[in-house]
Amino acid sequence: MVDRIEIFEEIEPVDDSSGFLVRLFSNKMARFGGIVILVVFLCAIFAPIIAPYEYDAMNLPEMLKAPSAENIFGTDEFGRDIFSRIVYGSRISLKVGFLAVGISMLIGTTLGALAGFYGGIIDLIISGITDIAWSFPVTLLAIAFVAALGPSLTNLIIALAIVSWSGFARLVRGQFLSLREKEFVEAARSLGMSDSRIILKHILPNAFAPIIVLTSLEVPKAIIIEASLSFLGLGAQPPAPSWGSIMSSGRAYIMEAPWVSFFPGIMIALIVLGFNLFGDALRDTLDPRLKD
Amino acid sequence: MLKYIIKKIILMIPVLIGLTIIIFLILHLAPGDPVDLIVGPNATPEVYENIRRDLGLDKPLLTQYMVFVGKLLKGDLGDSILQRRPVMDMIIQRFPITLEVGVWALILSFVIAIPTGILAAVNRNSTLDYAAMTFALVGVSMPTFFLGLLLLYFFAFRLGWFPVSGYGTWRHLILPVIAIGVTDAAVTARMVRSSMLEVIGQDYVRTARAKGLDENKVINKHALKNALIPIITLLGMRMGWIMGGSVILEIVFNRPGIGRLMVDAIFSRDYPVVQGSMLLLTASILLGNLIADILYAVADPRIKY
Repeated sequence: MVDRIEIFEEIEPVDDSSGFLVRLFSNKMARFGGIVILVVFLCAIFAPIIAPYEYDAMNLPEMLKAPSAENIFGTDEFGRDIFSRIVYGSRISLKVGFLAVGISMLIGTTLGALAGFYGGIIDLIISGITDIAWSFPVTLLAIAFVAALGPSLTNLIIALAIVSWSGFARLVRGQFLSLREKEFVEAARSLGMSDSRIILKHILPNAFAPIIVLTSLEVPKAIIIEASLSFLGLGAQPPAPSWGSIMSSGRAYIMEAPWVSFFPGIMIALIVLGFNLFGDALRDTLDPRLKD
Repeated sequence: MLKYIIKKIILMIPVLIGLTIIIFLILHLAPGDPVDLIVGPNATPEVYENIRRDLGLDKPLLTQYMVFVGKLLKGDLGDSILQRRPVMDMIIQRFPITLEVGVWALILSFVIAIPTGILAAVNRNSTLDYAAMTFALVGVSMPTFFLGLLLLYFFAFRLGWFPVSGYGTWRHLILPVIAIGVTDAAVTARMVRSSMLEVIGQDYVRTARAKGLDENKVINKHALKNALIPIITLLGMRMGWIMGGSVILEIVFNRPGIGRLMVDAIFSRDYPVVQGSMLLLTASILLGNLIADILYAVADPRIKY
């Protein structure tokens, strides 16, 4: 006779969090994306140690030098070291990407939660505004706000946050609409909990997975728009080493010094690719239903 | 269907109102006194007052907005501060230069993306699928203006096959159209693939297979037609992205289109020109979305509202 207890003892408790990471990083794409993101983060944190020169150290006799042992990515039109500028520039890309998306996530999640939880007239108003915001082209709208507020990095972050919250609002509203009907919400209500407690402690945590996935896919978009607007001169102002503005100044010298534009361009493409790969894998692991 | 179309058109009204408010506010959000920005610090008080009255800034904000919209409906976008000529004339002159890149890029994008997406979906998890999706991922991550710069360097400067800047002939069009079309095709191909995969999983496709139709017929007759319907909406959705990309590429390729006009006007603080070009660009995108929505209703008989 088989001892049943023995069978049960064979089953080990599953640590879900480590299982999640194992599943995520068993994906080759996620590993590559994660490494790229990590490298750029390290560049941003340790920029003064990694960069051989100051990002704004001019050296006019050495201007527009091709890549060499002293300047591995060459120099720009003021003789500044491109590699050092790119290393410092990672701070701008990450700052804009995370701040802008962070703010738009907060705005969107708050509005979406209110609309989805309360429904009725509140939902009608918020959804109306969200649908209007959703139908505007993001890049052009960001240009419009920067045109109004004046070109600067801070204004660019504000503009990006203003134009990109509607995706979060739509997502969170949908989540709340279905979650508020669940038994655990009813249970919390019958215990006499306040609305804010139910929203923050009970419903919101259940909507975290899709919010995180959307965030990870919005950050690369924000980084591309920052680079594009800085390329137009509407973002970071000189001598700030935004990758987009380095490319913009390189545009004038592209014939004799293509490296000025090419290296920052490759960096933008790489970091965006890294975030996209990581975000896609995160979506597949956390919430396969979101797969497009 | 007529009801659906009318509903879509009515839904555009609040969007257009929102758009005019944002564009109206461009001038008013600007830090400092807009009149000072326009006339400069050395202007005499008379000049200052004239400009102020010209812009209607002596009236309450709501009145100003009403006047702005009223003029707009008559096709009057005000005069350029620098060039002293109607903004409408300026943007009408520049718009075709932007539009031709946008339209050709959209066509190129769909010519690449639709077959790629369908082949990837039909041969799911094959080498072809992986190759197509790798191309798509790289394309999605590539900033349009960087691809533009690469094309400019290699094909215009190095090889001399295409002109470095300017507009007018098809040779001026090729590089910007490729830059936008290829990066956009990457996004579109991913969406076509998932739309096709969804249709292949439907019951009617299984039925077609079960009754013994050969695979080609199942794909061409049953799956493809249904998968193409959501792609029409995609056509509208991509408009905004394509027009945005076209604005930036006008700086790369030195094309005197409406994007160039707008960016120059932002730096010279010629606000009426900024407002006019922004309005035309966004309105054309919204119109594109509306047309796609209507085509969608025409193509899909299931839509009845």
